[in-house]
Amino acid sequence: MTSQIDALQTIFTEFYYWITVVLMFLIHVGFCMYEVGASRYKHHQHTLMKNTMLIPLVTVTWFLFGWWIYWAFPTGPGLAPSIMTESTGLVLGGGFGANDLANPTNEFMAITLNDHIMGVFWAAFLLFSWTAASIVSGAVIERITTFAFGILAIAIGSVFWSIDAAWGWHFDGWMLKILGYHDAYASGVIHAVAGGFALGVLAVLGPRIGKFSSSGEPRNIGPRNPWLVTVGLFLIYTGFWGFYAACNVPIYDLGPEYGMEGVTFFTATNIYYTPTTLSGITMNFLMSLSGGLLAGYVISKGDPFWTYSSGLAGIICASAGNDLYHPIQSLIIGMIGVVIAYKLHYWVERKFKIDDAVGAVAVHGYAGFAGLVICGFVLNGYPSSGYSVGAMWDGSTYAAINPLGMFIGALIMFFVLGMIPGWIIAKVLNGMGKLRIPREVELAGLDYQIMEEAKEDEKAVASSSS
Amino acid sequence: MATVNNWIDHLTAASKAEGGAAGPIFPGAGSEGILVIILVIIWIGWTVISSRQESDKLEKLARRKPSSNAWKSNITDG
Repeated sequence: MTSQIDALQTIFTEFYYWITVVLMFLIHVGFCMYEVGASRYKHHQHTLMKNTMLIPLVTVTWFLFGWWIYWAFPTGPGLAPSIMTESTGLVLGGGFGANDLANPTNEFMAITLNDHIMGVFWAAFLLFSWTAASIVSGAVIERITTFAFGILAIAIGSVFWSIDAAWGWHFDGWMLKILGYHDAYASGVIHAVAGGFALGVLAVLGPRIGKFSSSGEPRNIGPRNPWLVTVGLFLIYTGFWGFYAACNVPIYDLGPEYGMEGVTFFTATNIYYTPTTLSGITMNFLMSLSGGLLAGYVISKGDPFWTYSSGLAGIICASAGNDLYHPIQSLIIGMIGVVIAYKLHYWVERKFKIDDAVGAVAVHGYAGFAGLVICGFVLNGYPSSGYSVGAMWDGSTYAAINPLGMFIGALIMFFVLGMIPGWIIAKVLNGMGKLRIPREVELAGLDYQIMEEAKEDEKAVASSSS
Repeated sequence: MATVNNWIDHLTAASKAEGGAAGPIFPGAGSEGILVIILVIIWIGWTVISSRQESDKLEKLARRKPSSNAWKSNITDG
């Protein structure tokens, strides 16, 4: 920071991402409340603890290797030429790609006065990691062991979402170059991948006892505390604001970046360094939320659980292109995503006997998948990346956004990096006898022992005369 | 352990260095590799210990076989 304007821009950016991290923390608070509200009384405390312990597990592994993966694998490796060369001035560290930068032994991975951005950027990505793991957490409540969930949380939170972010979010990502992949607010890189991963796990884990009748008819196990579910979902909406902000670069001069001689053009950009405005995405966020709520209310005939969840699904479906959509387009896309998610949820439940306790696969997975496909049509022809122009252009090809590329991208997110790894890891854990809690414990309740001890404590206190 | 003993000396020297680099200021700068190894041990160790604790707990409860409504008698209301 050699000049006052450089210092101001750096410190503003540092503070901006710091605020997004605090806001995004509310997503996790919301997920905890939502899951506890959706679970039955005898499983409450275990449900809460499972979702809480993903915080340290994903954080530690994100520090050790998750962040490193994001910087190490954008080109596949080997699927597309890298623009991180001397000629573009984008070499960020030695060794393999830019992985030295995010190596946990690098001085930038600690307090150093040479850098003000790495830590907050690391944390912003980490909060996405928690979200990815937390999406899976809700689907598997009341029957998974904490050990198995911990392994699965690390897999989706610190490995597979990090790979997909490297491929589809990083400025050097091969999916941008070859497929024209565009996913501004993570319909795919967070939601479709986590929803797909959850579906893979559920296929192995099996339904909760009593979810299906002997003839295979699904029974409704509704939320036990609708108020907690409601407040939880409102907190997730709130945290989602931080999520949107964290996907942006708050201030950037695109003139010199794009090689436009003598032009100064300060703006916010999305993660691909193409221009957008915080003002515009604020409208789109609220309109897609509204579209989701409107569609959810009608299609579920006023069911509160689905209406609130549909607000979230609406945002998720529009997120891939919410940096460019018109607000009314956002609303309509949100509505379409909700209808697809709702219908698919019940079809999959009946057809494959999948017990998704909170509708996570539908709200995140199906709506995210649909959002990517729709984005390919609506934004067909837009540049997928700011690195396809000007000073950063080195001759490697960045495809424009297109329907086929986005559809393939959606398949990669949901199936290749989501469902298939989830299914394989769950199979291994199941083979070790570590995936599911014993039947007797599931019937008695995971909190049985804690509740029994609490009763004994209460008796002892009540019988005390002093 | 202290990487910095005097802020004025440290920042003055840093400002004269190439690029104005002030560098890491955490205690024991240069020991990052050892710290990472310690973190790996803590992570793996925690996983092993907590997994054993959970397995023991689940096995004990499964052997007792409480009925599916037994938890209701354990509700505390103050």
